[in-house]
Amino acid sequence: MKTRRGLAIAALAVLAAFAAAGETPAAAQSANGIEVTVDQPRITAVIGDRITIGAHVTNSGSTASDPLIAHLNVASLTGTYVDLEDWTAAPTQHVQPVDAHATTALSWEIQAVNAGRFDVYVAVLPNGLTSSGSGPAVASSPVEVTVAGKRTLNAGGSLPVVIAVPLILGGAALAARLRLRRR
Amino acid sequence: MTTLVNGEIGETATRPATTRGQGDWVVVAGQESRDLWLSGRGPLLLFAFSVLLSVFTYLAATNRAINFLEQREAVDQTLQIAIAVGVLVTLLVSADAISGERERGTLESLLLAPVSRRAIVIGKLVAALTLWFAAFVVSVPYVWVLGHGVSIVRTALLLGLGVGTLLAVGLAAFGLLISALCSSNKVSLAISFFLLLAFFAPSQLPGGLPKGWFGDVLGKISPVGSGLHYSTAVLVHGHGWTRDLVYLISPLVLAVLASAALLILSERIVRLTAGGER
Amino acid sequence: MAKTSLEARRLTKRFGSRTAVDGVTFTAEPSEIVGLLGPNGAGKTTTIRLLTTVLTPTSGEFSVAGVPSTQPNEIRRRVGVLPESAGYPAHQTGREYLTYFARLFGMNRSESSRAASRLLEEMDLQDRASSPLSTYSRGMRQRLGIARAMVNDPDVVFLDEPTLGLDPAGQRQVLRNVREIAADRGATVILSTHTLTEVEEVCNRVLILGEGRVLVSGTVAEVTSAVAAPRTATLRVPDSEVGVARQILAGLPGLTIAASGERPDLLRIRRSGRDGMNTVLQALLAADVTVLSFEVEGTRLHDAYLALTGAAPEESSE
Repeated sequence: MKTRRGLAIAALAVLAAFAAAGETPAAAQSANGIEVTVDQPRITAVIGDRITIGAHVTNSGSTASDPLIAHLNVASLTGTYVDLEDWTAAPTQHVQPVDAHATTALSWEIQAVNAGRFDVYVAVLPNGLTSSGSGPAVASSPVEVTVAGKRTLNAGGSLPVVIAVPLILGGAALAARLRLRRR
Repeated sequence: MTTLVNGEIGETATRPATTRGQGDWVVVAGQESRDLWLSGRGPLLLFAFSVLLSVFTYLAATNRAINFLEQREAVDQTLQIAIAVGVLVTLLVSADAISGERERGTLESLLLAPVSRRAIVIGKLVAALTLWFAAFVVSVPYVWVLGHGVSIVRTALLLGLGVGTLLAVGLAAFGLLISALCSSNKVSLAISFFLLLAFFAPSQLPGGLPKGWFGDVLGKISPVGSGLHYSTAVLVHGHGWTRDLVYLISPLVLAVLASAALLILSERIVRLTAGGER
Repeated sequence: MAKTSLEARRLTKRFGSRTAVDGVTFTAEPSEIVGLLGPNGAGKTTTIRLLTTVLTPTSGEFSVAGVPSTQPNEIRRRVGVLPESAGYPAHQTGREYLTYFARLFGMNRSESSRAASRLLEEMDLQDRASSPLSTYSRGMRQRLGIARAMVNDPDVVFLDEPTLGLDPAGQRQVLRNVREIAADRGATVILSTHTLTEVEEVCNRVLILGEGRVLVSGTVAEVTSAVAAPRTATLRVPDSEVGVARQILAGLPGLTIAASGERPDLLRIRRSGRDGMNTVLQALLAADVTVLSFEVEGTRLHDAYLALTGAAPEESSE
């Protein structure tokens, strides 16, 4: 009886370990107990869409953390050149020290300015008086962002405006001249 | 009304009250605007402006390689053209407003009317600004064509209206000041044009502004350059509305100072001869 | 009740070191037409500009229609002015022009439109009311300028060279308008002009300015008699005695002689002093010179003007 119970507990422990290592957004852990998770594993968007990337920084350690820096990164999976400043003007956020066993929520608003597939992830670095500039860095698992392209500008679509506006204004200018001459 | 005449106090007939006073600037603005638009000058300027925008828009639209970012930049450039041309024509019209009337001999009749000099300059300022607003309205369809696919039309139009109006008011007031102080119309137009170029120059330097504090100060001092910088920061780089507000300081200072100087000095400088009575 | 509609006391205007108007003092009454005479640079236009508040006096004071100079806006409500070199906006029509100024004088749209129509009719411009001012002749523009000067039914009207550049018919019409303004409306008219015949024809009083000062003022008769104007006479002697006559005349003080062009026997004599011509005739007769004719010209405003200013009045040009 005892042996069967012990085996069950061991099996459960193994299963739990496997579950923890599974595909659901996993917490990345650092030696100082800081973990960062993202809220969703994948996002689909059309070029130009504004997307909110949410993340949580958890302090599983026993003491409050140092001040932290959370930096958003965008990496192209299809070789497209990415200029982070085009996606977001404020990739870096300063995080106040997180209390022991507490969680802080962060979010970034980005605009999908390139078409293709991208990984968006968050890296957290310590920024305390003594810990600044030293590691370890903790990275979240990536959010896979798929951006579909869209052709929104074409010659045909612009023709009505580029022709009509000068025509109308030219007509008005001519009418004004003729009105003066007729007087 | 009692008056002292020949050492005796007596009564004189009082005129019927046909005064308006505060609405005089409206009458001046109305007539100046009619002269500007019905004489054909205004429509012709707008027509030329629309041709310029049409060429630019069509080139952008036929560029198959244009991507999302470049389309945003195209919208920003359209806005810059609209602001640049709009404030240019506004400045040139206001630079002609007083010195031109002096040369054409029509200023004396205006000075003989019971209208304060302040009302005259306000009326002329408003009339000059109609050119800016008309240029902005003309640019709206072009901004829509270029920007609706990248969802920045509303932002672009708000930026254009705000930054452009600030610059137009400042430069129009400045132009009127120059016009009142210059002895000839040619000099007034030349000075105004030169000043506008000087305001534009920092934003057009090859390689951009010099790095360091000097470039920073230069970029913020020039009202036109810094106004356009603000517009680009919000439209192209996605900055928040308040992040780069420091770049709106010099356009605002120009608008406030030039307008205040014009209103305060109008009684002294709007005279038959430039520079007061010497 | 004070009747004076215009009073200027020691009005002075300096532009730097140059004194354009120096201590001008005069008055004008309702319905009076006062002529302002003087050579170029005498200060006529500057005086008008001071009285109409376009310029500020360096010193002195004035009142127009009872309004002191400290209230320039009120003065502008009460005066009408035709400036000497008024320009007209090329693209405005006559009606638009008058309507605009009527509105500037405080009338609403309908009042100003009616006033414009009435004035255009009075100035015989109703047929060209909708034509742009660039198509108006000079005479039409002058009449339009007078109409604009009357738009506010002024107490005092200043007309600076209103007949300049007009043909004789145009001049007559303007002078007729001037008379009507004074007689029918009771307004005071200050008429600045170079044309002395105009002054003699329409003005009740005349002021002759020179170098910014009032040289003389009064009615035409008072001015011509007050000034010791040089007399002129035309003398005709036989050709053979021209030389003797000239010799005798040369010996008389204050006398100038000019030959009358192609007629050497006609001598034009100018002499200052009221009784000068008697001694000329006496001298010639005493020398046994045969005097064929001797015509003395009466003293005219022209002569008074010349005597005072030393300059010949300009005839109207164009």
